[in-house]
Amino acid sequence: MSAGGAFGGNRGARPVPPEKGVFPLDHMHQCDLEKKDYIGCLKSSGHQSENCRIFSKKYLECRMAKNAQSMHSLVHWERDNKET
Amino acid sequence: MSRCVKDVLWSNYKYTRVDTSCYAGVWGLMPRCGYGSNMTNGYRKPQSFGSGCLWKSNSFSSFQRHYASHASTEQKSRKMLLYLTALVFAMVGSTYAAVPLYRRFCQATGYGGTVQRKETVEEKIARHSKDGTVTTREVVVQFNADVADGMPWKFIPTQREVRVKPGESALAFYTAENRSSTPITGVSTYNVTPMKAAVYFNKIQCFCFEEQRLLPGEQIDMPVFFYIDPEFETDPRMDGINNLILSYTFFKVNED
Repeated sequence: MSAGGAFGGNRGARPVPPEKGVFPLDHMHQCDLEKKDYIGCLKSSGHQSENCRIFSKKYLECRMAKNAQSMHSLVHWERDNKET
Repeated sequence: MSRCVKDVLWSNYKYTRVDTSCYAGVWGLMPRCGYGSNMTNGYRKPQSFGSGCLWKSNSFSSFQRHYASHASTEQKSRKMLLYLTALVFAMVGSTYAAVPLYRRFCQATGYGGTVQRKETVEEKIARHSKDGTVTTREVVVQFNADVADGMPWKFIPTQREVRVKPGESALAFYTAENRSSTPITGVSTYNVTPMKAAVYFNKIQCFCFEEQRLLPGEQIDMPVFFYIDPEFETDPRMDGINNLILSYTFFKVNED
């Protein structure tokens, strides 16, 4: 669709903010190892997100440990999701 | 005597109907007197009317007819004026109303890539787990990264793609590096293509919309946590779509 020029046309209408807000960035590189594990897993398993779920969980838990408040609900969410 | 009658009739003047009393002298003279289109004056001095006007008895009936049709065209054009004025106001009003209406329309239909928001992601997940929906279709999410002109950052996705099933959350990374010698603050925005699928793309957490500051030479990983709505699988419009592209663009923020 290329119509709707007033609202940015191809660029889409106003983007919606993320559900849980902004990810606080890892400026201290404290969770780099977990991140590398995750990326490595993705590359080796054909980019299957399912296979590397455990690594993404580890990464999120690492971030939560380092940066307590904002990741709390995120990990809960991830845990709930896994159970389904 | 006739003058008094004229006064009375003139002050009681209603142009919507022809007053039959004493019409012979009074009404017939009006067009002649240059009364013309000024029908709105409720009252006029009888002098201007009585002194300078000529009256011809044999042409009264034509005056009367002329007057009657003159009145009705006046009335018609007045109605037309009111109608058109109302139309103008209606147009202007609808222009102002269009903004919120269009926004609602976009949210309802996902037109132009608007990401829909009806219930929170948690509610949606809870609902789907209760329903026991199983998704089997694999969707490939590819990543794209851009920087605006004049922004000396190197910004690339850390992985080329992620294969995910709708309903499963996935983590993805972008890497940004500040290649200049000054700290730079940037803010990013994103877009999902194809646009009709953007409705089903939910971001749980990301680094967008907030200013991110990088020191000179600093490299940082930026994660995005997202998931695709399971309803993606059941929507017939999404039949041919197996590829989604998530695109981020970083813009420079001027530091004061």
